[in-house]
Amino acid sequence: MSGTDTPPPRPARVDGRRLRSERTKQLIIEAYLALAQENSPQVPTAAEIAHRAGYSVRSVFERFPDIRTLQVAAVDYAMVQIAALAPARDSHGDRATRIKTQVETRGQSCERWLPLWRSLVANQGDSPELRQRIVLSRERVVARLEFMYAPELSTLPETERRHILIVLESLTDVESWARMREFFGLSFEEACLAWRQAIDRLLPPTPGV
Amino acid sequence: MALPSSSLDGRRLRSERTRQTIMEAYIELLRERPEIPTAAQIAARAGFSTRSIFERFVDLQGLSLATVDHAFAMGEAQAVARNVDGDRATRLQSHVETRAHTCERWLPVWRVVVANQGKLEDLRARIRFIRQAIVKRMELMYRPELEVLSAEERRDLLIALESLIDFESWGRMREGHGLSFEEACSVWVRMIDRMLPPTPPARP
Repeated sequence: MSGTDTPPPRPARVDGRRLRSERTKQLIIEAYLALAQENSPQVPTAAEIAHRAGYSVRSVFERFPDIRTLQVAAVDYAMVQIAALAPARDSHGDRATRIKTQVETRGQSCERWLPLWRSLVANQGDSPELRQRIVLSRERVVARLEFMYAPELSTLPETERRHILIVLESLTDVESWARMREFFGLSFEEACLAWRQAIDRLLPPTPGV
Repeated sequence: MALPSSSLDGRRLRSERTRQTIMEAYIELLRERPEIPTAAQIAARAGFSTRSIFERFVDLQGLSLATVDHAFAMGEAQAVARNVDGDRATRLQSHVETRAHTCERWLPVWRVVVANQGKLEDLRARIRFIRQAIVKRMELMYRPELEVLSAEERRDLLIALESLIDFESWGRMREGHGLSFEEACSVWVRMIDRMLPPTPPARP
């Protein structure tokens, strides 16, 4: 067979197909997230997801072998969004500014992601992948706390710093936010104030002030 | 022919004991596996027939609610407030240890209750009641310190303290961070101490 018999490669079409498939995948994930938010903590069915995304159930399972894989992909997608929507700000500000900024950013994340978080926690079951995402998500909260309160934490011995971070993470947990809003009936601003006061009491004095 | 009262009392007592055995079997199963067991599983664990369960409880929901109430009563009995009039350090230690024992013992049951609250309004009411009891206990134990605060400050501090000593907060220290019982208690004692305002001098 001569070289002239070989059809020329058509990368543009392949790329277009891949792009469409990727776009479908994304729409399915977004449909899953929307339903998980609306019906938390219930996991949406494949039929519901397909209907919301505007595809067939078969399309869903062509891209995700099972609902658990879709769930994991959706959590990863959401975690990227959470990080993008909550950048660290005012990390060089004074103590009051840093506490205010960290609390408001965290409050907004909790407000936005509470139903999805509940769905994730309630449906983690025996899935090591989902459990790993929960751990990772908490580690990110701790990393942010370490970053925002670096001056105060730097004055503490290692064990004490670790213990304060454990407590700060618990205090600013999504469910802790939910309790302030749903159980104690605080407004967004009141809930932020309660966290600000508590964090200020927990942190050691700011060095050099 | 009417039964003699001693025979009636004996029957009631046996029936009450059966009820209690069923609820304790339920709790045991929750501790082993974090999901609501079936009536057949509960019956097998309690050593009774499934029919015996439904002779004493209307349905599985009724049994679930009665079990939560029973668990709460047991938890309360095991967590009597002590050293209410002690100095600050004694009250802190006493409150934290009592709370820690409750969390240690009841965390698996609590998790199932919380996970299923969406299915049953009555379960949500129980959770609210238990949280109120936790807050009331702190109001009792830290009365001298809380009295110096304004109503709003007191409310906010109690909310933060309630988060701090939540079942899941305890679970994370023990399971997630691998702290021993004593280490975890020490963390709570030190952090509550930081959050509370200074203790006012005792009144003459």
